[in-house]
Amino acid sequence: MFHGRDRLQPLRNLGAWVNVITITGLSKRFGSNKAVDNVSFSATPGRVTGFLGPNGAGKSTTLRMLLGLDRPNSGTAHIDGVPYSRIEQPLRSVGALLDGAGPVPERRGADHLRWIAQSNGVPRNRVSEVLEQVGLSHAAKTRVRKYSLGMKQRLGLAAALLGEPRTLVLDEPANGLDPEGIRTVRTFLRSYAAKGNTVLLSSHLMGETAETVDDVVIINRGSIIAQGPLADVTAGHSSLEEAFFALTGGTQSERW
Amino acid sequence: MIGVVRSELTKITSLPSVLIATAVLLLLAVVVLLQPLGMLSDSLAGMRPDGTIEFFTGHRQQAESLVLGLLVASSLQPGLFLPIIGAIIAGQEFRSGHLGVSVSVVPRRGKLVVGKVIATALYALAVGVVLAALSTLFMYLGVRDWNPGILWSAEALAGQGRFLLYAVTATLIGFAVTLVARRTLVGIIAVTAFIALTMAQVFAAVPAIDALLPLSAARNLLLEPTTNVLSASPLHGAAVLTGWAAVAVTGAAVAVRLRDAR
Repeated sequence: MFHGRDRLQPLRNLGAWVNVITITGLSKRFGSNKAVDNVSFSATPGRVTGFLGPNGAGKSTTLRMLLGLDRPNSGTAHIDGVPYSRIEQPLRSVGALLDGAGPVPERRGADHLRWIAQSNGVPRNRVSEVLEQVGLSHAAKTRVRKYSLGMKQRLGLAAALLGEPRTLVLDEPANGLDPEGIRTVRTFLRSYAAKGNTVLLSSHLMGETAETVDDVVIINRGSIIAQGPLADVTAGHSSLEEAFFALTGGTQSERW
Repeated sequence: MIGVVRSELTKITSLPSVLIATAVLLLLAVVVLLQPLGMLSDSLAGMRPDGTIEFFTGHRQQAESLVLGLLVASSLQPGLFLPIIGAIIAGQEFRSGHLGVSVSVVPRRGKLVVGKVIATALYALAVGVVLAALSTLFMYLGVRDWNPGILWSAEALAGQGRFLLYAVTATLIGFAVTLVARRTLVGIIAVTAFIALTMAQVFAAVPAIDALLPLSAARNLLLEPTTNVLSASPLHGAAVLTGWAAVAVTGAAVAVRLRDAR
């Protein structure tokens, strides 16, 4: 099994950090609860990295720290070798979709994208382009409170794609999407990574994510329990889900 | 920075609750401005050769100073609700995890707060200009047969300038308190409490303390001392209001910078 630091060695030697996400020793406490404990991994260009774990495992908190929304108690999270908060106009290099961080319900979908585009100097025509891309052109003038869960998710994806970034950080992107939407996202992410871009996506749906990712990082109760290429992590198991339960020492029935 | 300010202005103007609150405030201004019109015309018609009129029963005063006082006071009355608009502008960030989106697209939080402050100040300034224009228009209807030029005098423009200072600082106080409180309702309650402290004359017996309250400072800044009991000078009022806004905005910037964006 690979370790994130080992996989980055060739890039370190070249002095190249383009589109690489590196998380090193990241920890976060909420009171006495250690939500994230010494998490380290990386996501590299040309590959889709799945950040997997059950609900409450620490996935969203880790991604929030990566994007500078939550302050870590220790550790670092870098994109292209620098903290996200130091990137000028980050939408042009990193697109993000975060679970629990969404538009104001009373605002129109197109207005939500318009202010985001303005904040990063993204041309206005990109708003209609990304709405078209995610199939929301018909709902551009509709207030977000009238959107279904799937439409809200697609609006979030549209926001992530506004600046045509080389890196995507997506927290539970399949949430609320119908089977066709999930398949569309899967196909899109595969082709996106194939162009040399970096994709880091979190999910608690292991079966679904296994069909999308090249590498996996599995987190449980705030700690990384496995990481590496999908084939390595699932070796000896019938599926990623089975591998997860074997690694955590749990069974599906116990979890209910 | 211009892009951030533009985006914050878009956030403000694309939020229905801000637009509704602004419309209500302007409607209220029209109602407030309509009321003294007839009385003012009647008083001016009964002006004595020495230039005095009786607008308030039993109290004669120079027509010029009364009109100038009314002009600014009629802007202030609806302007009392400006901090609530500031609270609504700031409060949107704490709905549906919106602050997370804002920080993820403008991760330099100092830049984000500065952009928000400038946009909120610009919006408050625009609303203040409309309020001042409305009070000038309605006052013109009252004084057009006497001396309409008084509305463009240096004193009148200075009075409206003082009102615009109030409009911006009062809105920023409501905005900043809500950014610290992280809830629109808490922000509205806080600014209403400040207003109530002055209205209830809690510190009226100690003018030095009363003059430090935001609404008392606004009264000191804007109202005519001959017809109102004031606790300090206009300059003092301007300094107190500016101080409140500066301290509140600084506190909000520190809070946004240090807290998790939740």
